[in-house]
Amino acid sequence: MKNHNMRQQLVQLGNGAHALATQMLGNAEDATDAVHDVFVRLLRKPDAYDVSKGPLKPWFLRVLRNHCIDLIRQRRPGHSAVEELSDPGPGPQAALEIAQRDQGLQLALAKLSAGQRQIIVLRDYMDLSYAEIATALEIAPGTVMSRLHRARLALREELTRHG
Amino acid sequence: MVKQKQAVDQHLGEWLSGFVDGELTQQERQRVTLHCEVCDACREDLAKLRVLRERISTAHLSEVGEDKWRETMNDFGVHTPRRIGWLMLIAGLLAIAGIGLVGFLFSDEIHIGMKLILIAIYGGLATLLYSVLRQRLIERKTDKYKDVEI
Repeated sequence: MKNHNMRQQLVQLGNGAHALATQMLGNAEDATDAVHDVFVRLLRKPDAYDVSKGPLKPWFLRVLRNHCIDLIRQRRPGHSAVEELSDPGPGPQAALEIAQRDQGLQLALAKLSAGQRQIIVLRDYMDLSYAEIATALEIAPGTVMSRLHRARLALREELTRHG
Repeated sequence: MVKQKQAVDQHLGEWLSGFVDGELTQQERQRVTLHCEVCDACREDLAKLRVLRERISTAHLSEVGEDKWRETMNDFGVHTPRRIGWLMLIAGLLAIAGIGLVGFLFSDEIHIGMKLILIAIYGGLATLLYSVLRQRLIERKTDKYKDVEI
């Protein structure tokens, strides 16, 4: 893949990747760093991505997910991602507006398991196909629909509970 | 009537998600459609799933804009080669200027007085250029409004 095309695709993937990393790490700043790290790593070694293995999007998200898992392992024990997610964090007016508008959804998502959050973000926020989700999460394609459905039901329940 | 009863008894579960996502085969889609015509619970579930999906897809789960990622790309891929390019260009120009200066200073064809005058003119221009560049560089580093777009 030509470097320019890869860069453009990565720019477009940035926000979705950041949302996924935020759901995994529970912290927008850590998520930004994680996405940045993976971008830099990929730009330094673009050959790491083999076009014959499929589209860039699910492959990149899998790399990002594995990087987030590494970061979580490095964290101190007892660190709670849920607590951080409920905090809109310091920021300007824009951050406050976003927090107000989507706080209910963020809180409900924070109540789900990490796997459920990831699959919902990949499908409903990033619009990945089931095949792409299977690649990104390294799971069997046949299990995507059932996992996603369970995650959606759990999210719906949490949203009903929190209004 | 029996068929309807059978269809209602077997709720579709995860197929509803597959239907909403457009991931079912034609045959499966038809089955969902037919089932929802007779099953209020599944029809309601389907509608709720659509609403949920819409809510998530329009949410702001990331407050970082595309510009941030573009900046990351630029920082990594453009700045370094650009710096190298500028350095090479400046080094080449300085080498040419140095050779020219040596030739000019040791030339017997130009009178010493003319040499001094030319040195004064070009030296003055170089000093002025240096001072302006220096000032601009200092301002660039400390100007807090440099990123403000008007």
